[in-house]
Amino acid sequence: MSPGQKWTVLPALALALVMFAVPVALIFREALFDPAFTLTHFERFFGRPVFQSVFRNTLMVATIVATACLLIGYPMALFIVTRPPRWRPLLLFLVLVPLWMSILVRTYAWMVVLGREGMLNHALLTLGLIETPLQMLYTSGAVYVAMVQILLPIMVITCYSAMTEIDMGLVRAARVMGAGPVRAFRHVFLPLSLEGALTGWAVIFILSLGFFIVPALVGGRRDALIGNMIVNQVAQTNWGFAAAMAIVLLAATIILLALLRLLASKFLHSPRQEST
Amino acid sequence: MTGITKRHLMAGALALPLAAGGAFAAQADTLTVAGSGGGLAQVMDMLYDQPFTEATGIQINALATTDRASALQAMMRSGNTIWDVAELSPVDYAIASTNGWLVPIDWSRADPDGLLPDEARLEDAAVVATYSTILAVRSDRLPEGQAMQSWADFWDVETFPGPRGLQNSVMDNLEFALLADGVERADIYDLLATDEGVDRAFAMLDEIKPHITAWWTAGAQPVQMLADGEVAFTSAWNGRITQLQAEGVPADMIWQGGALKPSYMAIIRGTDMEDAAHEYLRMLLTDAERAAQFAELVAYPAMLPQLYDHLSAEAGANLPTHPDNMDVQFVTNALFWAEHMDRLRERWDEWMLE
Repeated sequence: MSPGQKWTVLPALALALVMFAVPVALIFREALFDPAFTLTHFERFFGRPVFQSVFRNTLMVATIVATACLLIGYPMALFIVTRPPRWRPLLLFLVLVPLWMSILVRTYAWMVVLGREGMLNHALLTLGLIETPLQMLYTSGAVYVAMVQILLPIMVITCYSAMTEIDMGLVRAARVMGAGPVRAFRHVFLPLSLEGALTGWAVIFILSLGFFIVPALVGGRRDALIGNMIVNQVAQTNWGFAAAMAIVLLAATIILLALLRLLASKFLHSPRQEST
Repeated sequence: MTGITKRHLMAGALALPLAAGGAFAAQADTLTVAGSGGGLAQVMDMLYDQPFTEATGIQINALATTDRASALQAMMRSGNTIWDVAELSPVDYAIASTNGWLVPIDWSRADPDGLLPDEARLEDAAVVATYSTILAVRSDRLPEGQAMQSWADFWDVETFPGPRGLQNSVMDNLEFALLADGVERADIYDLLATDEGVDRAFAMLDEIKPHITAWWTAGAQPVQMLADGEVAFTSAWNGRITQLQAEGVPADMIWQGGALKPSYMAIIRGTDMEDAAHEYLRMLLTDAERAAQFAELVAYPAMLPQLYDHLSAEAGANLPTHPDNMDVQFVTNALFWAEHMDRLRERWDEWMLE
């Protein structure tokens, strides 16, 4: 980069500063000053078991949703990327369509499907598989199903774009050298696409941490996420406590992602060592 | 030399957004009203906003908003009032009023003929509508020959078996629990101000907890749940049940022990539209004929007694402020909740996770 070009990054830098750094700094100020320096909000968070159990639940839900999306989304992306090129735009389009619908609409749609007199119970009763309606709505299961359905397209897209960058000649080379399809996939394709898959996992994990509409609408009484708690506190004008919870969430996310990166750099990029 | 130029540039850059903000704020012919949007806003537009513009030439900018106390706090901190008038829930009103964010109302202008009862004429707000959290019952799910009549019946799972719903909210449910336990309506808030009273309410809630299949969070949910048969009995907002009945679902409203809540309209500190705001309030508050039409359409009536003169007995009997219904309900104590909400909600959240 020439010295003249260096200035072209300034607008982007200024934008990041105004739109990201300043708000984060304000959140820290809100949590720590009232108006004098205080740790009351953090003491309240760590002093009451309710907030910690909701926080643990949030991390658990995010982990399960991200993992489920990975297990479903990765094969979907693999399927699309191995189709003839003329079919791929249509298949990708089908994956993307649900993303254009509001989360609220998709959540209400799940209420119609999972309800006591909903489509699924109706079908099961008609087929004679059950005799009384199952309680599916207002359970943790409903939260997982709805969140996975809402976030899955993001996983498919992330995996797909990583997979399209893989030189398929390498897979063919492995086959020519005598590797079976499973072996070629495991030792060539999988390691090369794993970074994209992990990126997808991390994105879904982070997005899940902020969910609050879905658990409020289809979850049971134990399914509150930290987002629900933050919304309540904001509505009540307790911004200090809301900010403190946001900071704890941010810190936990950064630590977890740093750990993930560390693990990834340790185990990725070394397919040759792995195969010996 | 360069230093000065830079400083000038900085000042210019900083002044720019302020100047633009000023230009937007100075529209003297528009009154910005923060409401809740949706179907309610459509009815408001037809009955009040358009006629107001025709009569005065002042446009109404009706905004669909939520968490209005929080939004007001943001405006007050930044010193930039962007709403002239706001509709406030009881707790939002209590927060805004105790923080001094509302302009005192000149009642000689808002209600010159003194038509409204005193409960509707507050120092810094007017009650423009009312709604109730009531017990809603699917009448076809009741046992033969039985009728649910009170919160005590809701708690009686032996006489009235069936899935139940309650709002995931500490407000209302503590009151309902005490009523179910035989507490008099007048004593609820005195009792809830004590630890024993709160313990007693939670002990009652412990009993009903295993029978609640759904803890609703949005007003549309109990309606959906009753229509779908997800629950047979649930707390709900009265206006929603009126709509459900209109759709032919056999649902009854039990007014006994209902929680009546005023919906407040207030003028926001920092507005330069105080005159227009008073004029708008006068139209909302004192026109009995329009108030009757409004109540017929949305079932959230004003406190104007004269509105019942313009309603059929049948339509009137379905409204929260009808004298017969007023007699059996209690009024949610907004100041109590503004003071105790934080502590009690924490306990509620803990209790929900148990």
